[in-house]
Amino acid sequence: MKTAQLFITCLVDSFFPDVGEAMVDVLTSAGVDVEFPHDQTCCGQPPFNAGLRAETRPMAEQTIRVFESAKGDVVIPSGSCAHMIRLNYEELFADDPVWLPRAKALASRTFEFTEYLVDVLGVTDFGAHWDGPLTYHPTCHLHRGLGIDRQPKELLANIHGAQIIELPEVQDCCGFGGIFSVEHPELSAEMLKRKIGNLEKTESPTLVVADAGCLMHIQGGLKRQKKNQRVVHIAEILNSK
Amino acid sequence: MNTFHQSIRRSIQNENLQQALDANTERRLKGRIAALASLSNWPERRQRAHAIRADVIAHLDSYLGQFISNAEKNGIIVHRAKDADEANKIILEIVNHVGADGHPPLQKLIAKSKSMVSEEIELNHSLEKAGHHVVETDLGEYIVQLRKEKPAHIITPAVHLRRSDVGKLFHEKIGIPYTEDIPTLTNTARKILREVFLTADIGISGVNFGVAESGTFCIVTNEGNGRMVTTMPPVHIALMGMERIIPTLDDLALMLSLLPRSATGQKLSVYTQFINRPLNPSASLRAGNQKRHLVIVDNGRTRLRNSPLQESLYCIRCGACLNACPVFRELSGHAYVGNDGSIAPYPGPIGSIVSPGLLGNNFVHLAQASSLCGACKDVCPVGIDLPKLLTRVRAGETQNQGNGLDPIAKFSLQMYSRIARHPRLFSVSQKFAALATFLVSPFSPWIRLPAFTGWGYSKDFPRFASKPFRERFQHKKINSVPESEVSRLRMQSQETLQSASNIKDKVEKFSEELTALNGNVRRVMQENLNDELIKFLREKNVDAVMIWDKVSGVDEAYLTAAGIRSERSGDANIKVGITGATSAIAETGTLVIASAKDQPLTTSLLPEIHVAVIKSSKILETLEEVMKLDEIKSSASIALITGPSRTADIEMTLTIGVHGPKELMVFIVE
Repeated sequence: MKTAQLFITCLVDSFFPDVGEAMVDVLTSAGVDVEFPHDQTCCGQPPFNAGLRAETRPMAEQTIRVFESAKGDVVIPSGSCAHMIRLNYEELFADDPVWLPRAKALASRTFEFTEYLVDVLGVTDFGAHWDGPLTYHPTCHLHRGLGIDRQPKELLANIHGAQIIELPEVQDCCGFGGIFSVEHPELSAEMLKRKIGNLEKTESPTLVVADAGCLMHIQGGLKRQKKNQRVVHIAEILNSK
Repeated sequence: MNTFHQSIRRSIQNENLQQALDANTERRLKGRIAALASLSNWPERRQRAHAIRADVIAHLDSYLGQFISNAEKNGIIVHRAKDADEANKIILEIVNHVGADGHPPLQKLIAKSKSMVSEEIELNHSLEKAGHHVVETDLGEYIVQLRKEKPAHIITPAVHLRRSDVGKLFHEKIGIPYTEDIPTLTNTARKILREVFLTADIGISGVNFGVAESGTFCIVTNEGNGRMVTTMPPVHIALMGMERIIPTLDDLALMLSLLPRSATGQKLSVYTQFINRPLNPSASLRAGNQKRHLVIVDNGRTRLRNSPLQESLYCIRCGACLNACPVFRELSGHAYVGNDGSIAPYPGPIGSIVSPGLLGNNFVHLAQASSLCGACKDVCPVGIDLPKLLTRVRAGETQNQGNGLDPIAKFSLQMYSRIARHPRLFSVSQKFAALATFLVSPFSPWIRLPAFTGWGYSKDFPRFASKPFRERFQHKKINSVPESEVSRLRMQSQETLQSASNIKDKVEKFSEELTALNGNVRRVMQENLNDELIKFLREKNVDAVMIWDKVSGVDEAYLTAAGIRSERSGDANIKVGITGATSAIAETGTLVIASAKDQPLTTSLLPEIHVAVIKSSKILETLEEVMKLDEIKSSASIALITGPSRTADIEMTLTIGVHGPKELMVFIVE
């Protein structure tokens, strides 16, 4: 039996706990023993992307400490946080002979959720049902940063009853980018407008993502524009029966 | 609000600009994808290109030394400038001395083809201050020069303008009746600039690549102005960033397979020039020995090379990252401004790294204008990790972290970092935040934040969960799923193999490629060549041609008997130029023409119609094969011609016939 450590991420923990519960259900149904180290907080991506490396280090060290003592793989419901641990920790600790090997060791056993399901567990069909259209938005750090695109698509292709509609200009960023969305609200707004416009072209009421940051951003934009479409994390789709 | 934020707002509110930028993005991205589809092994080429650039930058001193020594052996006068001031001084010195032995006009006429380094060092300003007359000859650059602006894109300088803007500009500055007809506008520029080419004292160009093993430098243009400024004036000054080196001619072939495809979606640009030496006096239209100077500029590159931003020097300035960037798409180059309001010489993703890298703190905040989405890295033909470099600019090179960050955002992130280091504090803060956001918005889980918060400018913010996941998690006992059930679900992966495409006959392929680029091809037997030629000239109502001393298979006496007068060199009124060709490239529809004493480059450049005669056996498959020909190293200058001259500088609309020939006819002799 496989044991997986859940790194829930600060956003899912604080804003979207339902996503976390769906994820636990999906992993459990595939025969994985899910553990949750309680001392986890945030991987440090927000200050890292802003250029605040001195502020990032203690957060990254905290994360490494928490997970290095726990057994099995680390699974994350967010492409950008997985990207942070897998690629940016190496950049952050490049000159640190003590922390670099520890960071690399964690990176080597860290997986994004859909990647873990498809590539590690080898499961693409969870018997999930969804009535109606679904549109998938590949989030930037997931598909370009980590090269994970086939996996979520295979999982969605096996949702029974769902009709998958391709998003126009599918690879465009939604305009989140962490601190960017606050630092450059005008630019972020234009990118978000384009994304929502493309979603409307699909006439799909549901947009699926695998990153809580982009979920919060696009859903926040839809709410502001008083639109009815919903942004849903892929874990919730996989857990719908 | 700082100047950068103001310029961002201005760009976003400018409807005209937004339409122009959307058109640029759509056309360039599509063109790039289509052009790359013709390369079977593009990811592998990108890796090789990355490795070559990494090797060059790691050993720059030795490659640069080799390049300079070979260029000097070839008769190029090489200068090195440590910064912008020194580069301007060197060029001014050269310009001031031109014609000093005769009757030097005090004001020199300088024909300039596109050079981003010249923008970086503000060369035009320096030359004009000294009283010289500088004319930008790339159509887009000419337009922005008339508007007293800087280029808005490194490849498409007038990307920010629509045809009506150019129509108005030409009406006001040149005095032609207002028109929105792009061929008319282009033709107007052609006529004015033709005069400049023919009378300029000096030509100034940039350099795309310098080849260490041969001292060759390569210049890529579409309109033909690059050929003009390096061929017509008696003095040519090439301006080059010191990082622009590649080791071998083979490497050049690789880079040329990537640069035009990434930049403009072309397999090869219309004119790709390899320059080895000054032109032979008789080969040039104007009397006297041509002098070629090469000014190699550091201007911060050595510092950049010794910094964590070193990888940005791999850049080959294709501009693909600008076209792919969702932020550039909203802004155009003019919005990338420094703290002092000056426009950054290099915009977009790469510009947000090299502008602060070369010119310092004034531009450091540009790097914050990115969502780090990675579209730039995705399209980069030399695989530069642009998002990583952007975070390095943000991180600063010293203690000064969070460069260019708004102070409130910086403070908030510092506070967040303090909290997230301590799990218990983190957990308590979550509860506090849940309570606070509930009090602010008791009836809706989404809060309408005000615009000044940044987030609230265009989106609502979620309430913190009253019970975060960490309190909800319960270890679930597994209802032991049978192993057979899991394995039933296991996926089967399939790999499909691409079938190799069948290789077409070289002549067929050449004809197909060239025809697609608005060139014309006629296949003739040797015995019919001269009659076919005469037939073609009569169709064009031509009774005089400019022709090389000897074009294989063409019988000049026969032409004369048919009433067609031949000339050796340029009378500007002669409409047709007839040349041979050293070789041709099937995969791109390219003619290869090496200059020689009796084979002036002007014959294929000045007349409106260029007729080339080539034996079918001389057509090669690839650029790589052409690079192995002796002429590539031995000839003073080699022109690779891929179709008639063209531009898309106005509204991305393709227009045929700018400074070079408007028509290209190739007779392939079987």
